[in-house]
Amino acid sequence: MAECEPEDCIESISITFMTTTMKKYLNMLLLPAIVAVSSCGLDNYDAPESKLTGRVVYNGEPVGVRGTGEAVQLQLYQDGYELRDPIPVYVGQDGTFEAKLFDGEYKLVTRDNNGPWVNDRDTTVVNVSGTANVDIEVTPFYTVSNVQLALSGSSADASFQVNEIASGTDIDYVMILVGKTSFVDDVSYTARVDINDATAGSTVTGSIDLANNTDFQSGGPLYARVGLRPTGKDQAIYSQVVKLR
Amino acid sequence: MLAGGITCFSSCSDFLERQPDTIMTDDQIFGDEVMIRSVLANYYGRVSWGQHISDDYTYTILDEAGRSDGGPDNIQNYGDALWRVYDYGLIRNINQFLQSLRETTAVDEEDKQAYEGEARFLRAWTYFNMARGMGGMPIVGDEVFEYESGMDITTLQYPRSTEAGIYDYIIEECEAISALLSDETNTHSARANKWVALMLKARAAIYAGSLANYNNKMSSPIRTSGGEVGIPADRAAGYYEQALAAAKDVIDNSPYELQLNKPDDLERNFYEALSVKDNNKEVIWAHDRIYPGTGQQTGFTTRNIPGSHAEDIDRAYAGPILNLVEDFEYTDDRNGDIHIRNAQGDYIFYDDPLDAFANKDARLGGTVILPNALFKGTPVPLQAGQKVWNNGSWQTLVGQSDERDAANRLITSANGPVRNNDPYVNKTGFFFRKFLDEAAGASTRGRNSEMWFPRFRFAEAVLIAAEAAMELGQQSVAVGYINQVRERAGIQPLTSVTLDDIIQERRVEFAFENHRYWDLKRFRRAHIVWNGVVNSPTAQQYALFPYLVVAPGTPNDGKYVFDRLVFSGSLHPRFFQLRNYYNFIDLGWRNANPKIVLNPFQ
Repeated sequence: MAECEPEDCIESISITFMTTTMKKYLNMLLLPAIVAVSSCGLDNYDAPESKLTGRVVYNGEPVGVRGTGEAVQLQLYQDGYELRDPIPVYVGQDGTFEAKLFDGEYKLVTRDNNGPWVNDRDTTVVNVSGTANVDIEVTPFYTVSNVQLALSGSSADASFQVNEIASGTDIDYVMILVGKTSFVDDVSYTARVDINDATAGSTVTGSIDLANNTDFQSGGPLYARVGLRPTGKDQAIYSQVVKLR
Repeated sequence: MLAGGITCFSSCSDFLERQPDTIMTDDQIFGDEVMIRSVLANYYGRVSWGQHISDDYTYTILDEAGRSDGGPDNIQNYGDALWRVYDYGLIRNINQFLQSLRETTAVDEEDKQAYEGEARFLRAWTYFNMARGMGGMPIVGDEVFEYESGMDITTLQYPRSTEAGIYDYIIEECEAISALLSDETNTHSARANKWVALMLKARAAIYAGSLANYNNKMSSPIRTSGGEVGIPADRAAGYYEQALAAAKDVIDNSPYELQLNKPDDLERNFYEALSVKDNNKEVIWAHDRIYPGTGQQTGFTTRNIPGSHAEDIDRAYAGPILNLVEDFEYTDDRNGDIHIRNAQGDYIFYDDPLDAFANKDARLGGTVILPNALFKGTPVPLQAGQKVWNNGSWQTLVGQSDERDAANRLITSANGPVRNNDPYVNKTGFFFRKFLDEAAGASTRGRNSEMWFPRFRFAEAVLIAAEAAMELGQQSVAVGYINQVRERAGIQPLTSVTLDDIIQERRVEFAFENHRYWDLKRFRRAHIVWNGVVNSPTAQQYALFPYLVVAPGTPNDGKYVFDRLVFSGSLHPRFFQLRNYYNFIDLGWRNANPKIVLNPFQ
């Protein structure tokens, strides 16, 4: 069959098979069938099963960031291939990250100018074999510590200390954020107060009046955290999220 | 099965053995002036980028308009590739055109120069559109690359120019092009002439100047180490001088003017300066449209016409938002907020909803259809519901489309505005006026509209001159220019000019004209205006809802009041982040050309 000229093939089918009208319908059935059964093996990889986990840390403590909107990313590169597109690794709001990968040697870097820390794009080499765990050390411009967040009546009260770690920028503002889900940041919140006169080394106190807030009135769960935006940086640094009720 | 498969793909006719009738040789094209012009026309059709009226969705993602074609949008962040232009295909085509044009003998030298000028202008315009999104990009000159198997491809890989370098190239090109082109106007300003080239020169120079100036005033300026992004601050003054000189040339010597045909009706005058093509003296270069002709019209009027005036089933796709309306000043008050409550917090009552906009900048009515304003001679009703005085408090009554109460008074207009998800019912309180075509049949699907889209116009030359003079410390010159524009709008003159005045004037003068986004970027204000904060007066979108007062027996019965509401058609405040100042470089481009460096934040 494969050796015959195409014209001959058509001839033999129409004679030995069936009438032309029926052939037309049969072709409609056969074409998808042929497409469905044929395939090439090139793209038939198994999905990656190895797992890279890690944290973005300062002094051993994970750094709180905005976890929504793919805001803070790390990049994984692997040498030895023709193309060099990084694999984005999304950092969660508690400073942790996770990626499913093939085994191999990877290079992990922060994204250019992304995150509330000093822009340092030194490479961390990661060997992934089954699992791997890595901490990425960063130097934030500022940190927040001794964070107290509590609900008293219809007011969310916050008190925290601001510490300057690296020079080179100022405090744009600090913010107190209350959210109705456990994802709280400068985009996802139900109530927010910005304080513009915070200074490094001082303790900042503030509160949000929630009396008119529908999410407060509904009686559902509430979460809160505080954040600090260094001037001219694309992201704020946050405390860990606490559940208010 | 295999046999069946083969029958599908085999054929015995010589169908494929024909000479193509849609592919022409170089000799066929460049031996005939008509063909040369039609190739050029093709390039003119390929240079619309960013906001324009044939893509009205683009008006709703900034702070100019909101959608009313259904449920709310989810826009919050701006994409890393928003309005990104990377069209080296077009640049190659233009370079091929130039190569063949220079060799042809079918046209005389003078015409040849003019065609060369137009082609090079379109190329400079393409580079400009790339530069304002991404910064410096590879400049390939007149090169037409040919690849042959086995050659060293690194010779085809050009690195990115610096951001200053690409603006310098555009400015130099425009200077050279302006000498090649005619200084006369052409039909509907559809083709490039000397003044179009000078306008691009002025615009490129003012962009470069403001980038050099304001980027370096940020607390951490956005740059790359090679200068692909980031212009040195000491270049600013030079660019401002170039911008001022080019703009002055257009203002003093061109056949265009700040069109003032109807001094008694400045509102109508402004509408006609932008939206009436015949005998127009304002517009210097536009994307023109014509009926008939397949694909040569725009559906802007069809989609956005008020329901009360619709000629087809389409209507009210989107409408301007209150943020824009309130940015228009009053004739004697620079704060343009609509007066809806008095000092005690009580409603202010208006006999006619339109009275709330009395004494506003005349451009407002020429840009936006206000509640009860006339369109094509008949009023456009916009009524959200009734405010009923009930035992000492106001009760809001909202009805179905065109529903009336027992006394036969209208509750809610079929036009809206409404806060539900009904498609094609206004949700902002305003309709588009600028670029809305008054011609009969212009809002039907079968015909659509011949409305053009201006890319350069005289008022821009005036405001570029004002901005450049202000930055160069020439206050009296700047005041003179900005007041020309303000005088035509019927608002009070200024005695000094600041950057905020320039931003404000450009915001209202050029609404829907593809300036707002690029302006806020080059002034490095976008992340401050669109700060992502819920209920921020600039980042959140707002609507204005008119209500009929029902308070029988009181003097206010039958009057109108207004509520200012968060726009229901867009849930989130706009959030422009630092990384949005420059589009991301596509990683595929870098894979093809490793000399391309990435942009900041990428």
